[in-house]
Amino acid sequence: MATESKGCKELFNEVIDAGLCTLCGACTGSCPYLVYYKGRIALLDNCTRMDEAQCYDYCPRTYIDMNAISQKIFGAQYGDSEIGNAEEVLIARSTDTSITEKAQYGGVVTTLLSLALDEGLIEGALLTKTSDDKAPSPFLAQAVDEILQCAGSSYMACPVLERYNQIPKDNGDKLGIVAMPCQVLAVAKMKANPPENRVNIGNVRLVIGLFCTWALSPHNFYQFLKENLDLSKVKRFDIPPPPANRFDVFTASSKTSFPLEKIRKFTMPTCAYCLDMTSEFADISVGSVEGIEGWNTVIIRTKIGAELMEMAKKKGKLQIDKLPSANLAHLKEASLLKKKRALNEIIKRSGDSNNLIYVGLSTKLTEKILE
Amino acid sequence: MANIEIDAPGTSQLFIGNEAIARGALEAGIGFAAAYPGTPSSEILGSLAQIAKKMGIYAEWSINEKVAMEAAAGASYAGVRALAAMKQNGINVVSDFLANLVMSGTGKGGLVLVSCDDPSAISSSNEQDTRPIAKWLDIPLVEPGDFQEAKDMTKWLFDLAEELGTLCMLRSVTRIAHARGNVKLGELPGKQHKAYFDQIHDLKNVMPTKFMPMPSSLRHFFLHMKLDKARDKFELSPFNRYVGPDKPDLLIITCGSCWLYSQDAVKALDLEDKVGILKLGTLWPLPEKFINKHLGKSQKILFVEEIDPFLERSVMEIVANLPSLSPHPTFYGKRSGHINAYGELNPNMVIKAISTVLELTYQPRDVVYGNKAEAVAKSNVPERSMTFCAGCPHRATFWAIRNAIKLDGRDGVVTGDIGCYSMALGPAGFFQVRTMHCMGAGAGVANGLGKLGQFGFDQPVLAVVGDSTFYHATIPALINGIYNQSKFILVILDNSATAMTGFQPHPGTGMTAMGEPTKVISMEALCRSLGARVEVCDPFDLESTTATLLEMMAEGGGAKVAIMRRQCELVRAKKEKLPYKVHVDAEKCIGEACGCDRLCTRIFLCPGLIWDKKTGKSKVDEVICNGCGVCVDVCPQGAIIKEAT
Amino acid sequence: MTKKQLVKDPLNLVITGVGGQGNVMISLIIGNAFVRDGYFVTVGETYGASQRGGPVMSHMRISKETQYSPFIPDGCADIILGMEPVETLRMLGRYGNPGVTTIINPRPIYSIDVTGGHAEYPDLDKLVETVKELSAQTWIINATEEAQKMGSHMFANAILIGALIGSGVLPLDKKSVEPVLCEVFPKEIEANLAAFNKGIKFVRS
Repeated sequence: MATESKGCKELFNEVIDAGLCTLCGACTGSCPYLVYYKGRIALLDNCTRMDEAQCYDYCPRTYIDMNAISQKIFGAQYGDSEIGNAEEVLIARSTDTSITEKAQYGGVVTTLLSLALDEGLIEGALLTKTSDDKAPSPFLAQAVDEILQCAGSSYMACPVLERYNQIPKDNGDKLGIVAMPCQVLAVAKMKANPPENRVNIGNVRLVIGLFCTWALSPHNFYQFLKENLDLSKVKRFDIPPPPANRFDVFTASSKTSFPLEKIRKFTMPTCAYCLDMTSEFADISVGSVEGIEGWNTVIIRTKIGAELMEMAKKKGKLQIDKLPSANLAHLKEASLLKKKRALNEIIKRSGDSNNLIYVGLSTKLTEKILE
Repeated sequence: MANIEIDAPGTSQLFIGNEAIARGALEAGIGFAAAYPGTPSSEILGSLAQIAKKMGIYAEWSINEKVAMEAAAGASYAGVRALAAMKQNGINVVSDFLANLVMSGTGKGGLVLVSCDDPSAISSSNEQDTRPIAKWLDIPLVEPGDFQEAKDMTKWLFDLAEELGTLCMLRSVTRIAHARGNVKLGELPGKQHKAYFDQIHDLKNVMPTKFMPMPSSLRHFFLHMKLDKARDKFELSPFNRYVGPDKPDLLIITCGSCWLYSQDAVKALDLEDKVGILKLGTLWPLPEKFINKHLGKSQKILFVEEIDPFLERSVMEIVANLPSLSPHPTFYGKRSGHINAYGELNPNMVIKAISTVLELTYQPRDVVYGNKAEAVAKSNVPERSMTFCAGCPHRATFWAIRNAIKLDGRDGVVTGDIGCYSMALGPAGFFQVRTMHCMGAGAGVANGLGKLGQFGFDQPVLAVVGDSTFYHATIPALINGIYNQSKFILVILDNSATAMTGFQPHPGTGMTAMGEPTKVISMEALCRSLGARVEVCDPFDLESTTATLLEMMAEGGGAKVAIMRRQCELVRAKKEKLPYKVHVDAEKCIGEACGCDRLCTRIFLCPGLIWDKKTGKSKVDEVICNGCGVCVDVCPQGAIIKEAT
Repeated sequence: MTKKQLVKDPLNLVITGVGGQGNVMISLIIGNAFVRDGYFVTVGETYGASQRGGPVMSHMRISKETQYSPFIPDGCADIILGMEPVETLRMLGRYGNPGVTTIINPRPIYSIDVTGGHAEYPDLDKLVETVKELSAQTWIINATEEAQKMGSHMFANAILIGALIGSGVLPLDKKSVEPVLCEVFPKEIEANLAAFNKGIKFVRS
């Protein structure tokens, strides 16, 4: 799998028109030709850079040498653990009720970001904000109350990286970013090979990745919600962990549930080809805890992540506890299962077990995952 | 435009052909002139309107040529000398009225129709020779050969039209209409008499005066009699003449602008004593006796005219009816391929035709020089394509349309119409427009596309039309779209002027041709009263305009209207200074690099922005830039800066 | 002062530039001056759609004898007044001959074909050299530059008319032209007259 330079045309051929686009936003916002609009990437005009365009380079669905990225971020081999490089795995929840009220589970992401902002570790955070009618959009939060407004998951894909790309290139603000695994991968690619004529990737000081099994189409699923609910009354969404098998919608006073089968058809097709359940290239990865409501599973991956968690603990912002070993085992199992499924789907699609389309994995590792 | 009412008979002025025609009408005592702007005819009404008040006459920009012609006929019915002027397409628009007018006859005021053709369609959608309508509908037709004749013929034509009681037509072309030449002035007219629509035909006949085409066959017969009378006069007309030797080696039969080209060609070839030119000014009906006298002069006869072989065929009809010309001459012209049957002519083409027929070689300049000059020009001279002026609101409109269509993602289609914005067929308007025909056709075609939903058609349809074109021809199509519930958006480009033809006023501008303030016919009020959704946008606000268009495209239902309102830059520049001073910050500009790829100079294509190859950056050309500031919102790096002046 | 004669009859003058530069103004002024001096003048011009950034040429035929057509035959220009360099060369290619006199304003206006990347604008110095090679006599008048110094590029037209008159290629003098100039440029008469005189000076120096 060569790392030849390619451009906008191949991005469309290989990814966007091929149904592999995750709507991460890495290709939009940095040039006038590619724009995100209502659940798709639109090409406004032709670009002449056929042989070397950054839109192709940073896409998380174009070739990634997984080991090279892993070396760059962690100095470690890829694939040694099912849940990626994990210095420590624990559970945590916010001690601030105003956060836990609004947050998805334990409010860890909101707490860590607020702390980082207060302490000047970051000056802005790239998040997903849902407006009053619950439509998700990328947002650059620069104050604690703005961060809190972005708490809670919409389960729909949102091109947060578009907002990153739109930051003026001479802006020096330190940034944090909360992202899905595909977006974390795009950021990792940028870190490995810094983009030109854009805001400096070095400004990104903190990457918090979310656990993700699949994401919902922001246009089609949103239309479905609009048709079935009064979105102005909705407070929160939730997909409780198995065996629940439903999609819950909470208003101030009630809860509506949809069976997960009904929702699955809005899953983005590209998610079937994703190997990453736990945002393996982040500084910290955060998700739910099966069987323990109101807490988050936290995977600390880098020094920055460790230092921030330590600070949160010391300042009493987070309550921290051990992750039960059964949960850890199950987490690893689920993560490995996602890799297996993805590789199988990829091989089915390419028709050749040696052609993993965009994933750069050694044959040995591929076999190891698939056995 | 020149002042055509100068009271200086006998003096020579430098007039364009249109001004000469206007002056001729003035000297003939015209009272009423109506027209719709159309290149190359616009200055006829324009120059009459300029002096109308002073001279006590009436001149109007009618909403379209049909109404202009009908209104002029109305004036003629009340005894006022009247003129209607138009470009070739206008003849198509008035043809139904003409077909009935020739039967009904005109009133006591002579009625003249001036048709200005545009060979090679330099400023038109099509090229078309309008002379055949004279043959088709039985209209006496003249064509001036120079600027003096343009005046003299017009003046004379009113007398003829009045005497015969039928419409008479003068045909001109761009190279007479818009070229300048010497015109010796005549006397200005006296006062107009009172206008009155006769109640009875005459004292003997107590039938009320009526102007109608029935009974048609009988009137057709009478019409032919009128034409016979016209022919008799044409036989003696000074507008037909022969110049040259008694027995020329070649006889050129020509008319119109080609009279001057033929003279130029004969002079260039130094053949004044070998080639004779039979110049005809009265083209229908042809003065057969006069022509017959000259047909036997030469063994070779070359027809030179533009665009169609109208004169050629008419003369060949005469030849077919003659007892054999002996010896029978060889005829050259469009039929033989010696003269193009398409496009405009010029002296070089006539020189070539004569040289070929007489088997001569002609070298206008030293061969070595010629080869060098041509080679150098070919390799060093880049093309200069047309584009919207710097600051033109259409550039911004089509940018917004392009963005909206791409974001919408359903392969939207834009139908187009006639005006400056026709350029959106090409790179100037980002290739947005896909169809273009005649005035009003854009909305018409859109009506059809908008009803194809039942055949699986789901592409959004937009029809762009200029403000003047909207009033001229588009309202019926909009009504059709609302009534038949056709799904399209009518995008009206309201730049407050009939810009393409010279910024003439129209019903939306609140000003008449004679400079008088008048009722504004608000297009949004009109469209709303028809029951359509109407939005008014400022195309310079790219974001808002794009969002509005997107929203309207996503909506269902029948025809709706989006008005893009922003004054034509050339009109604005005459009244105000530059709104902004714009420059490019070379530090911020990334030029060809990824993240821009020269968006402003490669795609946006405003001539005010140029590419500095040496530095690899964009630059503002201060001579061309009109300071609109739209490019500031286009630059992805924020490298274009505007400062309010 | 005895009236000058036409060096040949007809005298053929091409004025060329880009739509919006003011071709029409120049031909109007020169044309009217000649008519008032008793000449036949024909001026052929392209306008309408071609004004929108396209090339514009005026053909002037000046004669004591008769009215000529509004087209100068190929290879028969006597004088070329070029308001834009590439257009000047375009005219020389078609209408030039070894005896032609050329006045050129060497200020490029880039077409969208050039700025859009589909065509090259030639090297300006080389272009001016080529113009000199193809002309019997050449004057280089930086009309746009000088006009901008006076406050607006629009004064370039009056400067170039001055250059034409000052060069002596036309049998017209200041006296014939100045009154017409004042009629045609109703605004800024003073400035335009000053520009006109500047043009004369440039050529005579």
